[in-house]
Amino acid sequence: MIDIRSVSVERDGKPILAEVTAQLDQRRIAVIGANGSGKSTFARLLNGLASPTVGTVTIDGFDPSRQAREVRARVGFVFTNPDAQIVMPTVGEDVAFSLRGKGLTRSEINARTSEVLHEYGLADFVDLPAHDLSGGQKQLLALCSVLVARPSILVADEPTTLLDARNTRLVADILMDLPQQLVVVTHDLALAARCDVALLFDGGRLLQHGDPAAAIDRYERELV
Amino acid sequence: MKAGRGGRLSRLTGLYVPGRSILHRAPASVKVVGLLCVTLAASVPPPNWWLLCSLGGLVLGMFLVTRLAGRLVIQLWAMRWMLVVVLIPQLVFLAWPVAVATTGRIVIAITAASLVTLTTRTSELLSVFERALMPLRWMGVNPVRVSLVLAMTIRTVPVIADRAEQVREAQQARGRYSLRAFVVPLLVGSIRHADELADALAARGVED
Repeated sequence: MIDIRSVSVERDGKPILAEVTAQLDQRRIAVIGANGSGKSTFARLLNGLASPTVGTVTIDGFDPSRQAREVRARVGFVFTNPDAQIVMPTVGEDVAFSLRGKGLTRSEINARTSEVLHEYGLADFVDLPAHDLSGGQKQLLALCSVLVARPSILVADEPTTLLDARNTRLVADILMDLPQQLVVVTHDLALAARCDVALLFDGGRLLQHGDPAAAIDRYERELV
Repeated sequence: MKAGRGGRLSRLTGLYVPGRSILHRAPASVKVVGLLCVTLAASVPPPNWWLLCSLGGLVLGMFLVTRLAGRLVIQLWAMRWMLVVVLIPQLVFLAWPVAVATTGRIVIAITAASLVTLTTRTSELLSVFERALMPLRWMGVNPVRVSLVLAMTIRTVPVIADRAEQVREAQQARGRYSLRAFVVPLLVGSIRHADELADALAARGVED
């Protein structure tokens, strides 16, 4: 359960988010709005990459600012640019990196790495340098590296922005089929329409929270 | 699914190439110790031609055994200008046997090192470094962090090279060439990449 109460975020005295309140227990949540509307800051609040200036955020009862370890064990985060997320030189090593320090044996780490790479069609690339993957494959790798840690919530910040149409669809389909609770920040309104609920942001304010079709309609009418 | 780009940069950086040779299967620690021994033996003054030829033959033989001879050619071609820069001043100021022997030592050390990285996964090499750095913990050195920095350095080389290529292409597209206009966006992009990487590490729980 994601619980956000009266959250405001300021950076250098400038308001980024203002008085946002939302309780989110739906499985697939879209966050839409124009550039600079506060969407990404909202997403970053959910695993402690940003902290509220005022108000409280709790994830399953944990505060991301003060209990980052507990929250990050529950909340996986996928960034827009996979190149900025892939840490290790090869595909298998990057996925395995997410399991370091979790008390698993080497064989357990190898098994889980192999399992997730198989599931998302990257098993043949386990020893390949991550740099040699295509954009879509890199985003899949970034996703695998998050999912291998088995988070209960996945936050994806514009995961399809840098992808071509085919890979956008591939990544969107994968995200929609995940068993985890998904919070996806997106400019792809078709992806937002497939979610259970949508949050529409404008100028740091939460304008609408509810049915995706209604939020998209308002976004297109008033803000585009 | 096919892999994306051709991996020209990966061939140059000497990253791990999967295989089943005796060197691939050898423990990383043994290979690192072997590399140290070869490099030290090659460095022993005065130049001993028999020793240098034997070490050169050993390294060449291992490239053949591991079926990575093609990579050896690529590596030698990639460092041709560096070798010219090293060799020519020595030929001017020193006797030719000393100049050739010194350059040969460098070639042996670099190719032996690339043989190790080509046959060993980065994670295995980093585990060796982590173990080797353990005695320094009392001085406040964190072996895990040091090995993570090394891994990220290896990973970041192709990312920065890509960015440099983008800046160069942007200059070409505008028909303007300037060192400052190349360095500044590359530096800004690299700093931004470092920021993003820090966020990604935090999101993956590394700072906890």
